[in-house]
Amino acid sequence: MEEQKPRTKWEARIQQWKKSWEMYKENKIGLVGIGLLVFFFVFAVLGFVMPHIDPIYHPMTGFDPFIVSKSPPSITHLLGTDFWGRDIMSQLMSGAQIAFLIGLTAAVVAVAIGTTVGLVSGYYGGTTDTLLMRTVDIVLTLPFLPLIIVVSAAVGKQSIWVLVLIIALLSWGGISRVIRSQTLSLKQRPFVEAARVAGATDARIIFRHIGPNVLPLSFLYMSFLVLGAILTEAGVSYLGLGDPTRVSWGIMLQWCRTTGSTFTWYWMLPPGLCITLMTLSFYLIGRAVDEIVNPRLRKR
Amino acid sequence: MSMQKYIVKRIFQIFLTLIIIMTIMFILFRMMPGDPTAFMLDTRMTPEHKAIIRAQFGLDKPIWYQYLFYLRNFFRGNFGRSFYYARPVYDLVKEKLPATILLWTGAYIISYSLGITLGKIIAWRRGGKLEFGSTLFGLFFYCMPIFWVGLIALWIFSYKFGFFPLGGLKGPDVWSDPSSGMLLKAYDVLKHVTLPLSVLTLAFFAGSMLVMRTSMLETLREDYIMTARAKGLPEKTIRDRHAARNAMLPVVTTFAIAVAGSVGGGVLTETTFSYPGLGKMIVDATLTFDYPLAQASFLFIALLVLVANLVADILYAYLDPRIVY
Repeated sequence: MEEQKPRTKWEARIQQWKKSWEMYKENKIGLVGIGLLVFFFVFAVLGFVMPHIDPIYHPMTGFDPFIVSKSPPSITHLLGTDFWGRDIMSQLMSGAQIAFLIGLTAAVVAVAIGTTVGLVSGYYGGTTDTLLMRTVDIVLTLPFLPLIIVVSAAVGKQSIWVLVLIIALLSWGGISRVIRSQTLSLKQRPFVEAARVAGATDARIIFRHIGPNVLPLSFLYMSFLVLGAILTEAGVSYLGLGDPTRVSWGIMLQWCRTTGSTFTWYWMLPPGLCITLMTLSFYLIGRAVDEIVNPRLRKR
Repeated sequence: MSMQKYIVKRIFQIFLTLIIIMTIMFILFRMMPGDPTAFMLDTRMTPEHKAIIRAQFGLDKPIWYQYLFYLRNFFRGNFGRSFYYARPVYDLVKEKLPATILLWTGAYIISYSLGITLGKIIAWRRGGKLEFGSTLFGLFFYCMPIFWVGLIALWIFSYKFGFFPLGGLKGPDVWSDPSSGMLLKAYDVLKHVTLPLSVLTLAFFAGSMLVMRTSMLETLREDYIMTARAKGLPEKTIRDRHAARNAMLPVVTTFAIAVAGSVGGGVLTETTFSYPGLGKMIVDATLTFDYPLAQASFLFIALLVLVANLVADILYAYLDPRIVY
């Protein structure tokens, strides 16, 4: 059947998306990644429902009155309870919510900064470029986790948003380099010249003409940034420097360690497994997108 | 530019970066809520003691003076006194530094040599079971939180089977006994270091293997590999001398980029295994609000990262003779 000509801008976009999805579907690794992601999404949504079914399934305050200590998996608590008799499964669900929240917000902010810096640096060149790229060099040599640790010592407030902000502010370096090199080649193309002749301003050329062309690359790096942000949050929380008012996977492992229950398998294993599978899902999606964006990697 | 000139230039750059990092620290710790001098003055100190510290670090002077004073103090090795240990920070850092260098450089060397060797082999034998297995294995370890791997290792090897001690670096029974010789002490340290070293190696290894594999696949399509085959050179020579040596370059580059991120793994591993190094110290100092100690530990970790970067650059120049600085 002949492909219908798109009538509106949105139809064209939807067709574009459909085409990309067709291409993505070919990739088995990518499908596994999407599958895992959907699983965790459902899991996270269930986390909002559980406390309404029975208050003992609240991840923070759901102390089971009949069990006030650790208990192995049972019918009421499918994965057992923690040191204070709270349901581990509900805590895992809450952890999935936090992982999505932190991973996505930190990655979006970092991608926004990194892409803008890369575009500006590549487009203007000269002193702007040198200054921005030297900044990137320094950002990339800062030891990431130790810096977050001292910053949290200086800031003093253990809020999830402070953590998101620090992660985002420290992780845009790599992506800006990639976007810059892409911009360097894009700005030589005829369409940029055409836009300039037509009287477009620098800002318009950067964000309307070059910007959309580097977006696939930005998306690709976003999935790896999500992965990094989730792992970082888990590490910081595990060290006892996270937000203690929210139950994340890292916090669960910290509670497990500080109560001396490290060797309680039904408490120690699930949070780590969740972190692994969730980061794996973003990694696999990133790899699949990588193969679509860089055709060089296909069929090898 | 000659190699020596280049190294001098790079050392100057490291110096500059260090000053920038210190400036960030300076601003950061003066932005703290509450008393702006709290980062140097413990609330438990006596007023006389506070006055001494104030004078020693110029806290009563204007801010630009404080800044210069701070830089001077750093390069003289005067980081103040730890609140928690009530000892000079410099001594504490000096005590922990060797343990950290042993663990971190050990893990980097073992994991990168392992990763390069395995990556080389699996790319050469494309599509084998070994490739599938080690890629999957590597992928899982790449995505696992390292401290969780550490907890599992402790659970299995120390708790269940009792092969290794639960943490630390020196067993008190061996080290407090004057009759124990060098060999026994070395064996004791080895026993303590094996588990954290293996965990850290596993964490670093996956990345280097995956990069080496990709880079090797790329190199194998080059014309000079075809030429080498046409010349009838033995397979092993083509693999090791023609392909692998060139394929190693991106691995060195990724090491330089990755090192700043991966020292976090070192910090987490040290904490999990109660390993007495800089990483555990920075965490403990932060948790006990021991600001001078936390700051100094951070600066030394940053310095280690910068030195590792320099080593990577020199290694790159050595591996690729085309590079002229």
